Amino acid sequence: MRAPSFKLVTWLIAIAALLALPWLVTSDYYVNIASQIIIAAILALSLNLLVGFGGMISLGHAAYLGVAAYVSIYLTAHAGFGHLAGAFIAVGATTVLAMLFGYLALRASGLGFLMITLALGQILWGVAYRWASLTGGDNGLGGLKRPQPFGFNLMDPAIFYYFVLAFLGIALWCIARFVQSALGQSLQGTRDQPRRMRALGYNVWLIQWLSFVFAGFWGAVAGLLYAYYHQFVSPQTLHLTTSAETLLMVIAGGTGTLLGPVVGAALVIILKNVVSAYITRWLILLGVIFVVIVLFMPEGLVPGITRWVRSLRSRPRADKAADTSSIAKDSAR
Amino acid sequence: MRIPAGERRLLLGPNGAGKTTFFNLIAGDFPPSQGEIRIFGQNVTRKSANQRTHLGMARTYQIITLFSKNTLLHNVVISLVGQREIRFNPWSDLRRQTPLWDEARATLALVGLENLANRTVAETSYGERRRLEIAMALAQKPKLLLLDEPLAGLSADERQDVQRLLQSIPRDITIVMIEHDMDVGLSFADVITVMQHGQVVVEGSRADVVADPRTREVYLGH
Repeated sequence: MRAPSFKLVTWLIAIAALLALPWLVTSDYYVNIASQIIIAAILALSLNLLVGFGGMISLGHAAYLGVAAYVSIYLTAHAGFGHLAGAFIAVGATTVLAMLFGYLALRASGLGFLMITLALGQILWGVAYRWASLTGGDNGLGGLKRPQPFGFNLMDPAIFYYFVLAFLGIALWCIARFVQSALGQSLQGTRDQPRRMRALGYNVWLIQWLSFVFAGFWGAVAGLLYAYYHQFVSPQTLHLTTSAETLLMVIAGGTGTLLGPVVGAALVIILKNVVSAYITRWLILLGVIFVVIVLFMPEGLVPGITRWVRSLRSRPRADKAADTSSIAKDSAR
Repeated sequence: MRIPAGERRLLLGPNGAGKTTFFNLIAGDFPPSQGEIRIFGQNVTRKSANQRTHLGMARTYQIITLFSKNTLLHNVVISLVGQREIRFNPWSDLRRQTPLWDEARATLALVGLENLANRTVAETSYGERRRLEIAMALAQKPKLLLLDEPLAGLSADERQDVQRLLQSIPRDITIVMIEHDMDVGLSFADVITVMQHGQVVVEGSRADVVADPRTREVYLGH
């Protein structure tokens, strides 16, 4: 019987650890941190669709997080909608926003695309900040009670953790399927050789727009979960710093990989929420870590560690081959 | 310029004559400032590059543009998918579309690259990449094939391989080729067009073009 592959074993260990986490970690605080990591990971995964697989760097991705959060909290806590209706409308409306933003942003490429996404995100931040009668302005919008799907009490940290973990699993599965599909492979082709792709018959703009909308959808899902977790949203959620932080998660973890954004999200959230309790200047530490990643693992943590593990595993075989060859030479003398 | 269906046309001219620009205009990479472009009787002047491809046009590039991190097989599969409905499928695993991969393998066999199917483009020689470009163009089942210096940068052996490949392309495919290798180009083409400064200077058979004093003027300046 063939031994299971290293990759399969790693996946199984990771899944087991994630499922067992609420029992492994005794404190509710750390379970909540894990939930925050998962929500950030879904947002980072959605941004990675654009950055890693599409080669489109967006500095406005927090727009989908914030708009979905605002819409769900407003509809459910202030406009009398039920949780399910509020959720569908929040995600649906945010996805429509992504259609519009994609249409506008994809009129440019490269730096122009980046600036347009930045501008669109900041417009939304400005609206949230100034339209106080709707959004609460600087005070934000709150009052949302977490739903109780099928009778499960999402106020329990462990139950909420499994709730968002299920969404992460679905997001990973859907995005993995997309990446391996013809449309996903076309997106990667447009990243690498857009001119060649046009000559092969692909509508590059349409591929990028569809991917933009798909990314916006998952950003909206992250926004909905964000609203459920915090039960509150403020203009800061829409700010450029949130978009930049998400981009940092993607780059640090590894663009163009599925697990990179998850690892990047874990790194940033742990530094922000756990390390910051022990080190006042945790932002400097984040900066140093980022510089180290760029210097020694420029492709990101996940590809970098994978490369390192592969080199370690191939070294004993190379040494063995060298030993065998030198034994053969000695016998020949 | 008129090119009848099925013809083998060679475009000649010194550097800067406008040959590649002409290809880019036909392919839809650049919009013309004036005039009209018709492919198979259809006015395509305002059509995008990918729309023109769907009419049956394929091209290769002067500077090789391939997906270097992917395998040769993957490159050809991407060519095959480009004109099929599946290209918008966001769900089905492309790796499981066996007929596509079989067709890609057969296409690589046409250009003698089937043994390198699972090698990445980055691991292949320049001549192999040129042949891959031609394979990708042939995979599109074109009616019009634009070849931009397909022999550029090749060794003598590689040139022979590519020459044989070009000669084997069925005659129902119209080919327009830019090539600086006169021997290859002149033996390949039915009609030759000599360009300079974006204009057609001489057009005709090999004998007509070689004999025309304007050809000498274009290349030698007197």
